[in-house]
Amino acid sequence: MIRKEAMRLILAKINSEPIVSANGFISRDLFELKDKPSNFYMIGSMGLASSIGLGVALKNPKKKNFVFDGDGSILMNLGSLTTIASLKPKNFIHIIFDNASHESTGGQPTVTSKIRIKNIAKSLNYKVFEVKTKNEIENFFRKISSTVGPIMLIVKVQKSIIVSKRIDISPTKIKNRFIDSLKN
Amino acid sequence: MKKSFQIEIFDFFLKHKIENFIGVPDSTLKHFISYGLEKKKIIITTREEEAIGIASGMTMSDSNSLVFMQNAGFANSISTITSLVELYKIPLIFLIGWRGYLKNDAPEHLKIGKIQPDLLKIIGLPSKTLSQKNWKNSCVWALKKIQKNQPCALIVKREFYD
Repeated sequence: MIRKEAMRLILAKINSEPIVSANGFISRDLFELKDKPSNFYMIGSMGLASSIGLGVALKNPKKKNFVFDGDGSILMNLGSLTTIASLKPKNFIHIIFDNASHESTGGQPTVTSKIRIKNIAKSLNYKVFEVKTKNEIENFFRKISSTVGPIMLIVKVQKSIIVSKRIDISPTKIKNRFIDSLKN
Repeated sequence: MKKSFQIEIFDFFLKHKIENFIGVPDSTLKHFISYGLEKKKIIITTREEEAIGIASGMTMSDSNSLVFMQNAGFANSISTITSLVELYKIPLIFLIGWRGYLKNDAPEHLKIGKIQPDLLKIIGLPSKTLSQKNWKNSCVWALKKIQKNQPCALIVKREFYD
């Protein structure tokens, strides 16, 4: 399964809940698959999706808050996992699309072929799930309906040659419509 | 800056609806941070960029935020400030301790301390330096800035040695 396919299946389970998506191809996939105001596309600030998502989750306790992260991206901000774990946001669902590479910059390897993010997150008392297939993604959403966060879903995906289009909404517009979506 | 002023500044921001104080500790700002910890209003992060990310998420959720750091951490944060805070116009107040203001501060602070005012100018982050006399005017200025959706910085000089 490639990232875009996995993301399509995941998006079928998310309505108007906020999604903060990592810069690079992850935000581009999200934009192409299902653009909506409740998506916050990062186009810079590499590595910070989990932190921005944490801020949103802490202030929106009645919503489920999603972060779409990459393996390269979370490795840049591993410290954020300790902050998230210490604050224990119940409504925080951290999805990591793990292709063991920096696909947006040419497919250079990350270390997730050698180390397990799963084990790091488990040691921090995240509820961790790791999936590889479409069925497992379906099962994940069934399982988490009554699970208290922080939750991490690691989706093991293959590298892909499919590149989604660039985000053509201005950053301030991305922000303003995201802010409005949080008011509902 | 004396303890009493740092506490007054914290109370001033609390009173004016700054709800979140997030950052990495700095000895220049230690009274501000200790007081905020007593009030249970502080989140301490692992790095300054992380603090800016959390504060951005909170501010977009209609909850105003201040990010505190030392100027060494400000140097760490430049890419995040330019590609998140300034690019999306997220109205955060930065409170930055200025190590290296004194010419014989510890050696690791001298270079960044020297270029601190220029760095702020180059990245286009408007700033004011707080003093015990003018702090209130500068804090009012910062509140007006964020009301206009503009991020800004308040600088606290390090005027003593350990």
